[in-house]
Amino acid sequence: MDWKLWEPLIEFARKRSLWIVSFCTGCGGIEMPPLMTSRYDLERFGMMPNPAPRMADLFLITGYVTPKTLKRIIITYEMQPDPKYVIAHGSCTINGGIYWDAYNAIKRLDAYIPVDVYIAGCMPRPESVMEGINKMMEMIENGTADSWKRYKENYEWYKKNQDELFGEGWREKEARRWIPWIMDDLKRAEKEREKND
Amino acid sequence: MTDYEALVAKILEKAPYAEGEVRRERRIEFRISPDRIRDFLKLLKDNGFELLLQITAVDWPDRGEIELIYQVFSITHRTHTFVRTAIPRDNSVVPTVMDIYPVAETYERDAHEFFQVVFEGNPKLEMPWILEEEDKEAGLSYRKDFDMLGYVKRKYKILDRFDEDKGTYVI
Ligand code: SF4
Repeated sequence: MDWKLWEPLIEFARKRSLWIVSFCTGCGGIEMPPLMTSRYDLERFGMMPNPAPRMADLFLITGYVTPKTLKRIIITYEMQPDPKYVIAHGSCTINGGIYWDAYNAIKRLDAYIPVDVYIAGCMPRPESVMEGINKMMEMIENGTADSWKRYKENYEWYKKNQDELFGEGWREKEARRWIPWIMDDLKRAEKEREKND
Repeated sequence: MTDYEALVAKILEKAPYAEGEVRRERRIEFRISPDRIRDFLKLLKDNGFELLLQITAVDWPDRGEIELIYQVFSITHRTHTFVRTAIPRDNSVVPTVMDIYPVAETYERDAHEFFQVVFEGNPKLEMPWILEEEDKEAGLSYRKDFDMLGYVKRKYKILDRFDEDKGTYVI
């Protein structure tokens, strides 16, 4: 069967069921509650905050990104299944915003992960966020939201930028730092359980 | 209503080594020398100043000093208090006040990391805190003689976007 025929229907379904990673980075996280609740009610577009990146389509980067969060953002982004879309809020993600001379905020987000829609402003009002989401839906419908393809095609370049900032092998280093801590926790939970039995 | 003048006078009577004044309603201020800081904060704590809100540092390169400001809050007297003390820049050592206000541990680590002030007696000063390793290696500091902008440019490779000759930066 030719799946091409079904493409418009699939795109329509994708556009109307964007699930968001609820990972609020930066100040913009505070704009999420009004968007989600009754005043601006995002759910009428089929958007929903969602418990795990494995089920998400849309990654909202809400504001400044520090190197520490950027590591988590990259890992979360790579955990999402294709197709995945990114909306970046605020001037901080475009050029550093008011943190242009801060040692701890990255200046250009799209050097590290691809971005579909930028929303300018500090902080963008919910209306402009809605506008951005509308734009995103349009782009999904006419097939121009292709950041996930760009990420695959230009992975070398993105990886080079990431490694320049964090040093090579940062993924392994991060994991090594946290795995013992998680294992300790597991062991402790096991002991508790034995005691309770 | 608290009489702030009377409150300051009462404290100063017990601590003749300090200077104090009322800035305005609900704001009072003391200046002391760094070697008496422990005595003074102990005295404050015994007199109903229950909370240490913050320890901040200000760098004054022209005076050759780092000014430490202990912000203490009193619920009893309904007032915010600044205790100011200045230590020399090149030998910034001051005794810890951790045992008086336990929360000081955190703020002392903060001031140590960003202003290299050494708080004698705080065992956790060298533990990892906010800065990441590469920042520490680069000697990052909020002291005024650290070239922060240069460091930012090097770290994020954004050299081309700034124009040094102009009065304003082009971003
Ligand atoms: S653009 Fe403004 S509101 Fe948004 S993260 Fe930056 S400083 Fe905060």
